[in-house]
Amino acid sequence: MRLLLIILFPIVTFAQESQIRFKPTFNAHEIEIGKSYPFEKRSISIENLKFYISNLVIILNDKIVFQDSLPARLIDIENKISLSINVKNGLKFDKIVFNLGIDSITNVSGAFGGDLDPTKGMYWTWQSGYINFKLEGKDPLCKSRHQKFQYHLGGYAAPYNSLQLISLNLDKKSTRAEIRLPIDKFLKAVNPQNQSEIMSPGSRTVELSAILKQLFVVRSW
Amino acid sequence: MVKTIFIFCILAIFTMALSNTNYRFEKPSHFPEALYDFSKNPLKPEIIELGRKLFYDPILSKDSTISCASCHSPFNAFAHTDHDLSHGIRDQIGFRNAPALFNLAWHSNFMWDGAVNHLDMQALAPISSHTEMDEDISNICLKLSMSDNYQKLFEKAFGNNNISGERVLKALSQFQLSLVSAESKYDSVIQNLTVFTPQEKKGYELFLKHCNSCHSEPLFSNFQFADNGLQIDTTLNDFGRMKVTQNKADSLKFKIPSLRNLQYSYPYMHDGRFKKLSEVLNHYVKGIENRPGLAKDLAKKIPLSSTEKVDLIAFLLTLNDKKFVFNKEFGFPKLDK
Ligand code: HEC
Ligand code: HEC
Repeated sequence: MRLLLIILFPIVTFAQESQIRFKPTFNAHEIEIGKSYPFEKRSISIENLKFYISNLVIILNDKIVFQDSLPARLIDIENKISLSINVKNGLKFDKIVFNLGIDSITNVSGAFGGDLDPTKGMYWTWQSGYINFKLEGKDPLCKSRHQKFQYHLGGYAAPYNSLQLISLNLDKKSTRAEIRLPIDKFLKAVNPQNQSEIMSPGSRTVELSAILKQLFVVRSW
Repeated sequence: MVKTIFIFCILAIFTMALSNTNYRFEKPSHFPEALYDFSKNPLKPEIIELGRKLFYDPILSKDSTISCASCHSPFNAFAHTDHDLSHGIRDQIGFRNAPALFNLAWHSNFMWDGAVNHLDMQALAPISSHTEMDEDISNICLKLSMSDNYQKLFEKAFGNNNISGERVLKALSQFQLSLVSAESKYDSVIQNLTVFTPQEKKGYELFLKHCNSCHSEPLFSNFQFADNGLQIDTTLNDFGRMKVTQNKADSLKFKIPSLRNLQYSYPYMHDGRFKKLSEVLNHYVKGIENRPGLAKDLAKKIPLSSTEKVDLIAFLLTLNDKKFVFNKEFGFPKLDK
């Protein structure tokens, strides 16, 4: 036992914590809920941003060096802890791979707890299926009630499977990575003025999920 | 060292065996294997009982007026007979008839259009619907956590009093999975315990010829979706399965219901349009609307004489399971002091 401690001690104290951080941004700044951001000659705000990532793996030289013990995580900008994922101390990596959303097997396997618990508000109720990505906010040009926009993207069943495999290469080997998701670019693609609501699976959710996939950028820090 | 590990393993196995009070799902011997994956939600009497409490408790609705049983009454084989369309919170009228609930472990899809893919997730639909219970699963968890009685029941059921959406849903599933109906006269005949009357036997033969391809025995449904030629009700414009798949080919297809317990579960069809079995048979004999999506099995006329109709109904009545409908274990739970 004492031997074990002697061996472990230096590793615990000296190894740098390896971490992945998610950073949803608006005009290159980390998003704050309720804050107004200039957007195409008007100002809009974000009130809710949540999305699932699942089956996260971390890769070095094409080999998986870490596999997330949780099947899925809910990244929620209102819950700061959810934005950082600690991985094995001192671990270096050059690639991060995960699903944006929940896979179809999980979607047809009944109730789950933890981040997948339906109390998290990320499950459609009138029709089965997890909401993979939820973005809500206000835009003065939205014709909807209270000028709100609401985008709930998801859907697991063909032909409207919205799950996206995200694979991000780091510029160099590192123990820390920051994954940015520029929401302003996403809103440019949707254009809240023309479409203020997407609330169920369909061809549009698939299209927009594919756009999201392209927006993730990673860098070491 | 090896010895201690060995003893430890024996002990572990022993305690596991002791604590395994899990209740085995009793599959009637003449039924196929159930589809529900019990390994993900192993039945336990305390969880079933908790599910029963929840099923009968209006706490699941926003203003504590509507329980699951408000629309799914045990005396109607868990359907509802007063209304063609279901009635929910603040007397709002839904757009479909509440189906009977039994043998749910064999269903592959839920709701008339199959919008729900798993029994566990079904309850979220009525709970969240503004016209049914108008509640929210996280608020239900909050309300339940404020009840000492529920805290105790969750503790008994799950070993601690954490109240989560997952647990609420799994408990509701367990109670509903326990609703097995397999003790009708038909079941006794199949098990050679009794025989059909000559009239029932004739009806059975007609059933096998005209109905069994969809309402397949012994569950009396293959749980697929089909268009059985009902004229569209233009006050509802319910296109069934198409709403879920967004595929035109699924227009006017509905989930094929089981024909067990029909005596208790009227009115019939997704919109409760028929009150009597004779009306149902008249539909199959002369009411079918021929249209592109109509099920192939129904494209050819079903010629039933009036005696044959009576025979067929006599057979259908052998599918009533009185023991199931009056089983006290499925009824309103005992009140706690
Ligand atoms: C306001 C009436 C109402 C209430 C309350 C209600 N239901 Fe239902 N239930 C219905 C209707 C109507 C349907 C059919 C819905 C459809 O097809 O869209 C249904 C369908 C179902 C089904 C699917 C059955 C099948 O064969 O596909 C199950 C299971 C079920 N309900 C269980 C429940 C549970 C559990 C609750 C309580 C949490 C509940 N219901 C509360 C009216 C109700
Ligand atoms: C092609 C498949 C098919 C065949 C064959 C068929 N049915 Fe049906 N049946 C259905 C479907 C689908 C429904 C539900 C339709 C709806 O509600 O829109 C249904 C509903 C019913 C119902 C209503 C049950 C309830 O709980 O509401 C009864 C009773 C019934 N059928 C009896 C029969 C009888 C008797 C026969 C044979 C003469 C028969 N069916 C043949 C597909 C079929």
